[in-house]
Order: sequence, then structure tokens, then C-alpha cells
Amino acid sequence: MIRQWLASLWIWVLGGIMLAAVIHLLAVMSVPDFTTDDAFSRAARFGPDARFNVLPDVKPGAEPLPMLDPHMAHATCRFSLDRGPVRMDAEIPSTFWSFSLFDQRGETTYSFNDRTSGEGTLAMLVLTPAQLSILRENPPADLERLIVIETPHERTVALLRAFVPDAAHAKPIREALAAAKCVQNPLTADAGI
Amino acid sequence: MALADAAPRRFSPFALLPARKRRAPARPREDIAREALERLSGKGPSTGPLGMVGKILVTVSIALVGGIGSAYLAVDRGRLFNAVTLGQWTAYPSAGTPDADPYSAATLARTGQVPLGAGEGLVFFGDTDSQGNALTGACDYRITGETPPARLWTLTATDTSGRLIANSAGRTSLDSRALLRNTDGSFSVAVSRYARPGNWLPLGEAGRVVFVLRLYDTPLTTGTGLADLSMPEIIRGDCR
Repeated sequence: MIRQWLASLWIWVLGGIMLAAVIHLLAVMSVPDFTTDDAFSRAARFGPDARFNVLPDVKPGAEPLPMLDPHMAHATCRFSLDRGPVRMDAEIPSTFWSFSLFDQRGETTYSFNDRTSGEGTLAMLVLTPAQLSILRENPPADLERLIVIETPHERTVALLRAFVPDAAHAKPIREALAAAKCVQNPLTADAGI
Repeated sequence: MALADAAPRRFSPFALLPARKRRAPARPREDIAREALERLSGKGPSTGPLGMVGKILVTVSIALVGGIGSAYLAVDRGRLFNAVTLGQWTAYPSAGTPDADPYSAATLARTGQVPLGAGEGLVFFGDTDSQGNALTGACDYRITGETPPARLWTLTATDTSGRLIANSAGRTSLDSRALLRNTDGSFSVAVSRYARPGNWLPLGEAGRVVFVLRLYDTPLTTGTGLADLSMPEIIRGDCR
């Protein structure tokens, strides 16, 4: 009886292994949408949404986000575009800085550095395709200066990295990061546009 | 007798188990043969509903344990795909982009890291020396040569999880601006726990070590390709 049961088990084991492969793929594919400790969630710890928060120094044992460069000062602005478009302005007195936007899955949707920015300052408007069509009817005065990013990813984090050559330069660079503006609904919030 | 044993022996490794009951029943050979034939043709007395439940349980447990377990291992400690290797250095240019494979995307989301975007730069990881040995915190290293073109680069030592290692010098990185170079533009960096003359990257107490070379504003990410580039060599020095 037992031997007979065991003898016909192999097809079920085979089926189990095939099912395991399917579950493996589904599990791996669903991880980015279900993790709670991703960069997007962690960015909420640095301060309120829709403004630039300067991250603490990257030091051993106290890294604000994993794999950040200890030679850089960082600031993040987390926002959700369903509350309106976001405008960002920054002027950073560093010999190198870079900027990236990443979505909830941690994927970089847009990135550039101070040299590819044009004027060496950050002036950016992030909006959804629907908001872009509204903007076209009522454009801000300095639209030519702005980098306009149209993205379908509503929940986004902006990350500014600024090179700190030595301790003497750390203070002005961190102050510039703290003064960087990240404003939701710039047209209605009267943020100087 | 041979016919009776044929079915299990052909299909199952369990048939190799010692057959304890073989000698016990003194049944006519015809009965045994008929039973075997019925079993083979699928008409014989089944093992009942309990047997079926057992089989389904086996299938489901293999599927769940195997599927979720292997997914966890792949995401937790899997190396990212689409690696580009130059000498002892490896980069993952597609990490953090929509082109990344599902394993890289899952690893990235789980660890919460934010890789450099293509417009920012490219990160290279070095975890072996020029002899192919794994890097350890017990050895001194010398990183010499030149880097691919970049406006700025920084060099850091981390553990295998990418965490910085505390050291007595209180400095965990070295940058290209403050670097001393030879007249031909090449450089040599001493990596050691103890202070070294010239370019020194302090190392802390750690087991396995990974060197992280971040190239900022480099043409590598914007389409010049990654072939035929000279990367610095990692040479092992004294070990203690």
C-alpha cells in the first residue's frame, strides 16, 4: 500500500517542482511592489513630504540610505504628483552635483548633473501628462529656463547629491541643500513663479 | 514476480528501498500479476481519498517551499545580472533602470539602495585582487593605474553588504580631486588599516571587503561603450 503510493508519487513531485518555478517567478516579480523597506519608504523618515530634507552625513553604521557615497552631501524631496505639479530650484556651490528622480520601485526615471543641467542650477518642473496640458494654457513666466519632466509615476523622490571636497566646504554646501526649494502646486502656492 | 516489481522499480527511486513485505504474503502469483496490471492500467483499487490528499499535500508543500524559498535566496543574496566586468571591477549599468531584470529590481527594492542614474555616473565594485583572491580586511592593498574618463571619482571600502566600515582615521573615502598623481596621470592608492604615505584609503576591521569606485559624469553611461577601458589594478600587499 505505502510502496504503491510512493511509486505513483513521482508525477506529483514533478508537478510540485513545476508549480514551484511558477511561484518563484511570481514572487520575484512582485517584490518591488510589496517591499516596505525600499528607498521610497525610507525617504519619508528624513522629514515632511514635498520639501527638500537634508540627509545626515553618510557615516559607518549610520547610513541614511544604503550605498550612498560618504564623499557627498544628500537631500531628498518626496512627493506625490496627484496633489499637483512640483517645482524644484537649487543653486549648489559645489564643483559637482547630480540630481535624480526615482519612483516607488526604486527605478531612476530621470537623472543629470550640474554640467548637463544647462545653467549650472536646478530649475525643474515635474508633472503628469494631464497636468502638462493644463500648464500649456497657463505657462509660468520662466518656462524657457525650466527643465520640464513629464512622468506617469505619480509617487516620486528627488535626490540631490553634492560633492563635498573637504570639511571646510561642508557647511555652505549643506546650507545650499537646505535652502533648495521643492514646492507642490507652485502656481497656486505663490512660490515666486 | 518480475512483473509485480516492474512498475515501482521503473518509475520510483523508492522502489530501491528494502521491500520488507516481500516474503510475508503467500499469495498466488496470478493475483499479484493481475493487481500489477490493474495498477499499471489505472483501474486498480486506488489508495483512497487519504492517499490523494497526501499527494496533493506533497505537491503543494514542494511548490510553496521550493518557489518561495528559491525566490528569497535569489533576491537576498543573488548577484545582479547584466554585469560588465573590467579587470577586477564589475559594474551593473542597467541597475535601477526600467531595463533591469526582475531579479535586480527585486534586490534593489529589498535593500532600499538608490543606484546612480545614467546622467550621474557609474559605480564599479571590486571584490578580488589581481590574483583572483577575495579581498579581506586583514591585508593591505595597492590600487594602481588609471580610471576611465570621468569628471570626478571617489573610492570607498565597504563590506559585502555595501555598508561602510568604521576605521580609526575617521575617513572612509578618497576622491580624484585630492589625489596625488604621477607625471603620466596614473596614480597609486595604498589601502591599509595603518596610515600610509601618499594616497591612503583607511581600512577598518572587516572580514570580506569590497572596493567601490564611483565615476561621476562619465561618458561611459552615455553610449561610448565599456570595452577596452583601463581600470586600476588591485594588488595585494602584506597580510596579517
